Amino acid sequence: MKRIFSILNAVIAMGCGLIVLIGTFFNLQGMRETRLLFFQWAVILAGVAVLVGIWNLFSVHLQKIRTRQPGSLYSLILLFFMLLSLLFSSVTEFSAFKTVFLNGIILPAEISLLALLAVTLLYALIRMLRTRTDLPTLIFLTTALAALLLPVLAQFPAVNDLIRPALTNLLAAGGARGILIGVALGTLTTGLRILLGADRPYGGK
Amino acid sequence: MIVSNELLTGLLSFLFTVLVLSYLVGDNPGFRVAIHAFIGTAAGYVAATVFRQVVVDKLFIPLLNGDTWQRVIMILPLLFSLLLLTKMSARLEWLGGPVVAFLVGVGAAAAIAGAVMGTLLPQIEASAGMFSDGFGSLLSGGFVLFGTVVSLAYFQFSVSKKNVSGKRGKLAAFLALLGQIFIAMTLGVLFAGVLAAALTAFVDRIQSLVLFLDSFLR
Repeated sequence: MKRIFSILNAVIAMGCGLIVLIGTFFNLQGMRETRLLFFQWAVILAGVAVLVGIWNLFSVHLQKIRTRQPGSLYSLILLFFMLLSLLFSSVTEFSAFKTVFLNGIILPAEISLLALLAVTLLYALIRMLRTRTDLPTLIFLTTALAALLLPVLAQFPAVNDLIRPALTNLLAAGGARGILIGVALGTLTTGLRILLGADRPYGGK
Repeated sequence: MIVSNELLTGLLSFLFTVLVLSYLVGDNPGFRVAIHAFIGTAAGYVAATVFRQVVVDKLFIPLLNGDTWQRVIMILPLLFSLLLLTKMSARLEWLGGPVVAFLVGVGAAAAIAGAVMGTLLPQIEASAGMFSDGFGSLLSGGFVLFGTVVSLAYFQFSVSKKNVSGKRGKLAAFLALLGQIFIAMTLGVLFAGVLAAALTAFVDRIQSLVLFLDSFLR
């Protein structure tokens, strides 16, 4: 039975993918509409998948509390805030508290984590200088320092009109384009491997 | 005592900023409490938003209030959604396989279309467009194109069957080194951008702490 399902899964993934691809690249009547319908369904299913994921998070932490594993106090805090946030976000009467949670917890925590990144990045830079001192590392460091300091020196016309555009539009653009094309080629290859059935991330191989 | 929402928001904001920034002195229980509370709050918020804006608005409302055709085409996603819910059970999770396969298939096709139409073709077009403004653009366009080609050469890791050692040839190694230099420059600029954004966030948080304390002390 599971083997039949495995083949069925591959057929569904390949068939739906091909319909979407044909609907994207060819102006065929019916295919475009089917592609849009598939996208509409995919959005709904992705939403349900998010809910399943959150349920999984809930059940894992509930299990940690039940079995009194180390750190179960943190799990209790997580579940408490999850249920409170779910209540405030779902019930219209509590919408004021939803704003309090959004502006008092989510936004400050996110910005503070971004602020921590500044220190982490500087620490990583110092560690890199200790462990690697080859040519690309030195070029990376020089470019990073130049990109950080050039806005400070923007009052000088030579910096503003010549050096800054040369750094961002010329020196960095080639590498950026190479990285972008590389990522796109990688995405293309991975997508084609899935549609040809060589990779089956949904199980079966 | 009745606490206003503004005061509660300010207090929570102050507390969470201090707890998260306390990581600067090392991992500590305060930081862990803040992170777990943050994850719980964000998960609850996302669950409620997704349920209301996706499941209710895009599935239940067309099913209940739509015309006959809308109801018919929404039966399959409803069935798929129910099958996807079996993923929560270890015994029945295989039933959700076809739904995951559908999502993977549509996602892979969308990724291919996005990569070709959103990145490859526009980047090729932009590379060609750099040569269109006289001799100066020929030089700058040629330089950028060279940078692109050697950057891609750096990511070439496959070798021919004849190459027993598995190492790059001299020319390929030289081009890869040049590519590495171009990539290092790009990553340097990106690093500076991210660091500048993170520093801005750091200044913003410190400023918010000072302003909150200042408003209390007055």
